[in-house]
Amino acid sequence: MKYDFNWGMMIEEPYLEWILDGIWMTVHLALVSWTIALIVGILIGTFRVTKSKWLRVIGAIYVEIFRGIPQLVQLFLWFFVFPMLLSEEWMLWWNGLDHVPYFTAVIAISLFTGARVAEQIRSGIASIPRGQFNAALSTGLTPPQMYRYVIIPYAFRVVIPAIGSEFLTVFKNTALALTVGIAETTYTARSIETDSFHGIEAYSMASLTYMCTTTMVVVFMGWVERRTHISGLITRR
Amino acid sequence: MEWSVILPNALYMLGGLKGSFELAGITIVLSFPLGCLLAIGRLSSNPWIKWFCSAFVNILRSNPLILILFWFYFLVPFIIGRPVGDLMSAVIAFVIFFAAYFAEIVRSGIQSVGISQIQAGLSSGLTYSQTMRYIVLPQAIRSMLPALTTECILIFQGTTVAYVIGYSEMLHRASLVAERTLRPVEIYLFVTVIFLLICYSGSLLSRYFEKRL
Amino acid sequence: MPEPIIQLKDVHVSYGDFKALDGVSTDVMPGNCIVICGPSGSGKSTLLRCINALEEFQSGEIIVDGTSVKTCKDLPALRVNIGMVFQHFELYPHMSVLNNVTLAPIKAKKLPKAQAEEIGRKVLDQVGILDQAEKFPAELSGGQQQRAAIARALALEPKLILFDEPTSALDPELISEVLKVMLKLAQAGMTMLVVTHEMGFAREVADEIIFMDHGKIIEHGSADEFFTNAKSERTREFIDKILHKI
Repeated sequence: MKYDFNWGMMIEEPYLEWILDGIWMTVHLALVSWTIALIVGILIGTFRVTKSKWLRVIGAIYVEIFRGIPQLVQLFLWFFVFPMLLSEEWMLWWNGLDHVPYFTAVIAISLFTGARVAEQIRSGIASIPRGQFNAALSTGLTPPQMYRYVIIPYAFRVVIPAIGSEFLTVFKNTALALTVGIAETTYTARSIETDSFHGIEAYSMASLTYMCTTTMVVVFMGWVERRTHISGLITRR
Repeated sequence: MEWSVILPNALYMLGGLKGSFELAGITIVLSFPLGCLLAIGRLSSNPWIKWFCSAFVNILRSNPLILILFWFYFLVPFIIGRPVGDLMSAVIAFVIFFAAYFAEIVRSGIQSVGISQIQAGLSSGLTYSQTMRYIVLPQAIRSMLPALTTECILIFQGTTVAYVIGYSEMLHRASLVAERTLRPVEIYLFVTVIFLLICYSGSLLSRYFEKRL
Repeated sequence: MPEPIIQLKDVHVSYGDFKALDGVSTDVMPGNCIVICGPSGSGKSTLLRCINALEEFQSGEIIVDGTSVKTCKDLPALRVNIGMVFQHFELYPHMSVLNNVTLAPIKAKKLPKAQAEEIGRKVLDQVGILDQAEKFPAELSGGQQQRAAIARALALEPKLILFDEPTSALDPELISEVLKVMLKLAQAGMTMLVVTHEMGFAREVADEIIFMDHGKIIEHGSADEFFTNAKSERTREFIDKILHKI
């Protein structure tokens, strides 16, 4: 087995530019998708715990569908199927946009992840002891007030670890976007590999990107958890 | 919409399920025991073993599946010295990747049993491995069943990623059919429904286990 | 003169800065029932767990039935001779009561199943729950569970039994059935070390009482002396509080 290592090529042109572009693409694709996923997730998650049967059903259906279809298939659906289902003029508008693959990827990843976040929120709220609801209501708070001042802040602290790990899931899932033509980190690594046959250096670069980000996020989440810790509360670890 | 496109190709696409289940099945059978070993290793008192297992699990969990797949697709033929089939690379990549996820599930399952049960076992003269085998693991596995089922569903869903190295599972076949018939909508909606059916049944099973707890 | 069955010599246990045991030395004679009492955090449970090596001690010596715990190479063999009963019973929820009792005799003492079951039924009868043998722990009351736990310890035919607050997790009405079983054991001559707050039990059954505070043994004397004429001020203070003297 012979292999000529050439780590230096990673920091030479043109690969360096490819790499930086790829990483940047991964980062902002992840941030945008995660933000939308959080909004969707909090919405759907709350639906699933409200008194209204309809909202609960909508929430449940959403979660089953978006968790039951593999992420890659969802990407394909938004890329191949969605535009075809639009009316003539909307389809023209959509195809005329710059960065169609990017929007496709954002929608596909945020809706998938949103379903996962919804589940975390739902189980976070479900883990709050019944007594808290009773205590809040017994002091004369209305249900919306109860949610706003007592339940959501409590649930939030319980789900913080889960939210951090969802960001990491999103960050890793952006790699799948290469199948619809997004030149993110993994795509870049593969391009470098097929171009130069130096797979180990190329893939190491990609792995390093993901691992460094993971470590930074984990450390940051640890800090956040310590800051928002409710002492005496045994959270799910 | 030309739904008639689905029928003639359905068998071919459903045949891809064989590939999906094959890859998923082999992965589950191999990666679960590996995951158990890693979990026990992480709880070991030997610092070398503990460090190695922790590093293994953390590294694998920090990387996307598709990247790990590319890694092994590149490395395996290189190390063995000759080209290997895509099933082989995919299996190796998947087994190593998902073992790390099983390891975490098993580890937290073991820890949820509680140290007092371990103490009770040790105090009656059982060795550490006897305690693990007769007291801790039976209880741990019961509590892990929902999470393990979910992980199996994720493995099944993950087989679609093997599409990128040309492995013939259902999504790959669907994409070939869609290209050929130029009717992506009907074809992809068809496979979506199939996936939904399978994954939904899986999630029902997982919920059943959770209720039985 | 009989040899002590347990010898503790200057045992120290620390967790980081916190000193759980601070130079504990004492002897326990065979056949005695010793009650260990003291405020929370005084090191009583730590002391028990050091004796059967569930906890490590940083310095000192513990000798149980002639074997040094620190240098013992075969801890399971040592522990088979030391029974332990826990505050929260710690029965194995996934096994029937009989299987809970026979697991260690079969796996640790390598007895054949039939013999283990015979012993198992004998000890279950001894504690009065033979009719619960096939039930699962969750189906038993707290008092029955703790008696099952005692049976589990007895099935090993140990030389001594350690009790770590055996009645603290029980409803008040269920405490006496467990104490009765312990009384019978003491009368039969079993060596027992009991960490407990049950002073009534201590007065009736204990041969000696040890009072601990902040990791040290403050007082160790016969039961009568302890209640009527404790040597240390701290001990007298504790007795007053625990007997709810207002």
